[in-house]
Amino acid sequence: MIPRPSAMNGARPLLPQGAELAAPPSRAKVAASLFAALCLTMLPWADGLRWLLPDLTLMVLLYWCIHAPRLAGLGIAFVLGMVTDVTHGLLLGLDALAYCGAAFVALSLQKRLEGFDTPRQTLQLAPLLLGKEALVLILGLAFGRGEVDWRYLAAGLMAALLWWPLAMLLDHVSGRPALPDHTVME
Amino acid sequence: MGLPTRFALYVLVCLLSLALDARYSALAWLRGGLNAALHPMQRVISAPWEWSQDVAGFFVTHGELKSENDQLREERDRMRIGQQDRQTLLAENNNLRQLLALPARPDTAPRVAEIVQTVPSPFARKVIINRGQAHGLAAGWPVVDAAGLVGQVTRSYPLTSEVTLLTDRDQGAPVQNLRNGLRLIVSGTGSDRLLEVRFLDMHADIKEGDLLYTSGIDGTYPAGIPVAQVVKTEPPRNTPFARAYCRPLGGVGRYRHVAILKPLEQAPAPNP
Repeated sequence: MIPRPSAMNGARPLLPQGAELAAPPSRAKVAASLFAALCLTMLPWADGLRWLLPDLTLMVLLYWCIHAPRLAGLGIAFVLGMVTDVTHGLLLGLDALAYCGAAFVALSLQKRLEGFDTPRQTLQLAPLLLGKEALVLILGLAFGRGEVDWRYLAAGLMAALLWWPLAMLLDHVSGRPALPDHTVME
Repeated sequence: MGLPTRFALYVLVCLLSLALDARYSALAWLRGGLNAALHPMQRVISAPWEWSQDVAGFFVTHGELKSENDQLREERDRMRIGQQDRQTLLAENNNLRQLLALPARPDTAPRVAEIVQTVPSPFARKVIINRGQAHGLAAGWPVVDAAGLVGQVTRSYPLTSEVTLLTDRDQGAPVQNLRNGLRLIVSGTGSDRLLEVRFLDMHADIKEGDLLYTSGIDGTYPAGIPVAQVVKTEPPRNTPFARAYCRPLGGVGRYRHVAILKPLEQAPAPNP
């Protein structure tokens, strides 16, 4: 028996249709959301909570890498990483490297990630978000910056947990319609 | 260019900048420039936060103010008595120094700064203060608070400076045991409540409860600043050296205001 197209996993038209075609995410929206995320991470958070603070800049960057790869690429990842490095005052290039790596993985898998709905995306992105925190810790260790506080890995888990609400918020902001319902595809 | 090629290029640039920054500190100009550009933005972002804290501080009760006022009055009286004592001691000390034809104590007038930011990093024990090159600060200057030594300025930007706390793993201070004058070096462990004396002679006369003060022989820290109190000594086990663990006396990582002292002489800039 031939499976009907609606039964396929993540069934979604190959070309954007309807509202999405009419209003693709604009450069201004991408820039504004990235700036807002950067500002949020720069707030004077309490010291005791730092290790739980997810990297919002990276999450927004990944969102745009997946949904607007033409507007957010490696160059923006590099610049954001450098800015983050300067605010951290640690090693120049540490976060830039991590951001570029994460953006590269997301861009390589962009077609696949775009086809999944948000909960399934979370599962796919969790290793990436966790891996970025681990990479920063390991690089810091490699460059001899003393003892590592492994609690900071929790930030990666927090980021994975917050991916769903963040994606919903950004969907709302950018006016991207939710994935078409499978039954509509008949 | 394909995606992998571009990625490889960016990785190369990142690794280059990492190596340049970590090994040769060659990117200080870039860091300083970016920091000066970002600083106003950071101030604006954190302004509402600080205002809300100010507003919260406004609503304290009359009773609290009254009791605090009483306490302060009492403390002021006590300090006045101490101050009189200090004046006479200073005069006496000056006299004695002149008698011995020693050079006068160098000017170590403190500059007060506020801690505006902690560095959000799992490795660094560093804070950012709101005084920089524009206020005459330079890397290498000691930072103290009312109770003792806090750390050292390691990078000074145009309007802010970075202070590496005494508890940072790479930070050390030459000290003297108050009880018997034994000279030691105290280093950070990366924990906020613990310092250690590494490579201690196994017969060294150091006991629990000993107070350690800066010795002033390094040309950076003035002599006589309280640094730490010994809490535990550990006999040598696998190494030929003993070890002593101490508790920092200054409020390392606790207060909002610190004082920056002028170093005794122009000390060489430390490795950040």
